[in-house]
Amino acid sequence: MANQNKQRKRTFLNSTVAGFTMGCLFAASSWLPAQAAEDTIQIGVPMELSGRFVTFGTSGKRGVEMAVDAFKGRVAGKKIEILLRDVQSDAQVTVQVLNDLITQKKVNLLVGPISSAMVSAAIPAWRQGKPIWIAHGSTTPRTEEEVGAEPRFFHTYPYSYHYQAAMSAGLKQAMGPGKTVAIIYADDAYGRAGLPAAKKYFSEAGFKLGVEELVRSGASDMNPILQKVRFAKPDVLISLVQTNDLATLAKQIRIAGLDTPYLTDGTDIFIEEWQKAVGDAQEGWIGVAGYFPGMARPASKDRPDLFPSLTDWEAKYRQRYNVAPAYLDVGAYSATIMLLMAVDKAGSDDPDKVAAELKKLDVQTLIGRGRFVPTPSGTLNQAFQDLMVAQRQGGKNVVFYPNELATGKVIPRTGK
Amino acid sequence: MIYVQLVIDSLLLGGLYALMALGLALSFGVTNILNFAHGEAIMLGAYGAFFAFSLGGVDPLLALPVLMAVGFAAGYGLFRYFLKRVLSEPQVNQILLTFGIGMILNNTAAIAFSGDMRSANPSYASEAIRLGEAYLPTGRLIAFGVACLMAVTLLLWLHRTEYGRACRAVAQNQLASTLSGIDLKNVYAVAFGISIAIGVATGVVLSWVTPVTPFMGFHLLVKAFAIIVLGGIGSIGGAMLGAFLLGVLETSVAYFVPEGIGWAEGVAFAVLFLILIVRPRGIAGQVAE
Repeated sequence: MANQNKQRKRTFLNSTVAGFTMGCLFAASSWLPAQAAEDTIQIGVPMELSGRFVTFGTSGKRGVEMAVDAFKGRVAGKKIEILLRDVQSDAQVTVQVLNDLITQKKVNLLVGPISSAMVSAAIPAWRQGKPIWIAHGSTTPRTEEEVGAEPRFFHTYPYSYHYQAAMSAGLKQAMGPGKTVAIIYADDAYGRAGLPAAKKYFSEAGFKLGVEELVRSGASDMNPILQKVRFAKPDVLISLVQTNDLATLAKQIRIAGLDTPYLTDGTDIFIEEWQKAVGDAQEGWIGVAGYFPGMARPASKDRPDLFPSLTDWEAKYRQRYNVAPAYLDVGAYSATIMLLMAVDKAGSDDPDKVAAELKKLDVQTLIGRGRFVPTPSGTLNQAFQDLMVAQRQGGKNVVFYPNELATGKVIPRTGK
Repeated sequence: MIYVQLVIDSLLLGGLYALMALGLALSFGVTNILNFAHGEAIMLGAYGAFFAFSLGGVDPLLALPVLMAVGFAAGYGLFRYFLKRVLSEPQVNQILLTFGIGMILNNTAAIAFSGDMRSANPSYASEAIRLGEAYLPTGRLIAFGVACLMAVTLLLWLHRTEYGRACRAVAQNQLASTLSGIDLKNVYAVAFGISIAIGVATGVVLSWVTPVTPFMGFHLLVKAFAIIVLGGIGSIGGAMLGAFLLGVLETSVAYFVPEGIGWAEGVAFAVLFLILIVRPRGIAGQVAE
């Protein structure tokens, strides 16, 4: 009996010590991150680091990294902690990542993802906590419809209708009215959402709408649609496809000898990797962008430390990544810098304070004037919507619209 | 003119599909392992050709034999040291292993090569032979030639060489093959090595046809699986037949159905579905034991 009692006591004692130790460990484990979180500003960076939109995510990540470096890793007296997550170019993973960042990690600041489809998937998850969201990407106007007048949503990339508005105006000026356009659009969010804008702006600019062809994203043979375009004999071919598909399309247009005089795209034709991938097939393509590699822009007068001259920034970027930056990289950098400037001014990552500071910002960035304005469709914060229209000529970008930035004239292709 | 172009496009697309499916059909036919890392062999072949071209100035076609040899060695080694261990395990374990290897390879490629899109641009990649109003893209024609060469060589090897016959024997009856003195595991490893080498060859050809990215493989793998199922799992001839059938179907839908290229894959898979209902073993597949 005495032995049994002793054993019981020992078991009780052991259980108590084990329970106490576990309790201490649990308390410490929950206290430590809280302490760490107090000393850091966490930024959730969900990006497409794998999968079909990996090009976008890579650019976004690089832009964010460069911006954090420009702030020397600290903002508002605290260390910047980047919570980089791979959304794998997958809508379901995007939702999981956003859920984790917002409900578990409780981040107040978000940068990314980039692609229209992933941003669209992220919106419902973002609504759970509504941190400040720098959406540097998503060209589909559906994003505007889904987000609406949310004060903490900051879109820092042009929508597809900005592309089409600039492109149609530029081509109308160069070609005159009455010309015919054909449209090739992808069966993804980018293509389908861009189609109404292309039709609207080109018809408003006096173009006649001709054939309209759907292309499957990732298709290795686009020749059948090129044959249909060839029969339609349009003056302009508008392509609403993403970078990889555009590479296949451009190569096959060259091989087919398609003689459509004007071939247009969004911003992809200014990406160095696209140009390298398609080689000579890039000649004559027309695109829109707020930045081209190699273009000159002086340093900001107010913050040359954050917004140096484009030449200096590009040199630093090339040194680090051994590749030319694309519009997405420079834009992601500029947008993240604006976010960090707002956090600095707010003195914390309190979302309301940061949102108020972001609204007040009006800075000269690497891609032009950075300030947030409402959009006609009702979203509250849109930046960087001014675009140039340029053509690839002899391996260079020749800007032909708007006139004040023009460096040359647009030349029709022959297809030979 | 449109019919001439339709025939050209169908054949060339079919050739590309045949190349994608050939290696997979061989490895499954002989080893009975569904190799979910086959797409990554294609991806690595494409990167090999791209780097040989862009860094060394070596034409992808010249790099082809060397890259295939490397692919064979890698495939042989992979089987000898990894896949051999799961031969007697349930098929789901084999699938998980190859799927895991594929994931490791494509993520390693993403880290090593970055997610940037690449493409080799030899001169023939952007040339075409004019046939009146129609034209024959030279790059794709070469791809078609490589596919035919691979298929013929593979068939000759399977039918005319001792090792090839051993492979066929193993595919038909493993027990009888073992009893007649065939080194089963070595035959498996050789067949697997050859299938990876063909995967690498597919990648080399694709390096000038489509953009090269670390994650290009999975989409191709799905298509290749569909082709070997359509043709009859494990049958080389069936894989070729399935590839050309799919090429003709997709191209015809793309030409004659409004917005057809968007529907092409769906229609092709619907036909695959129908064929499998009527003939579950595929067009040239044998009755399962």
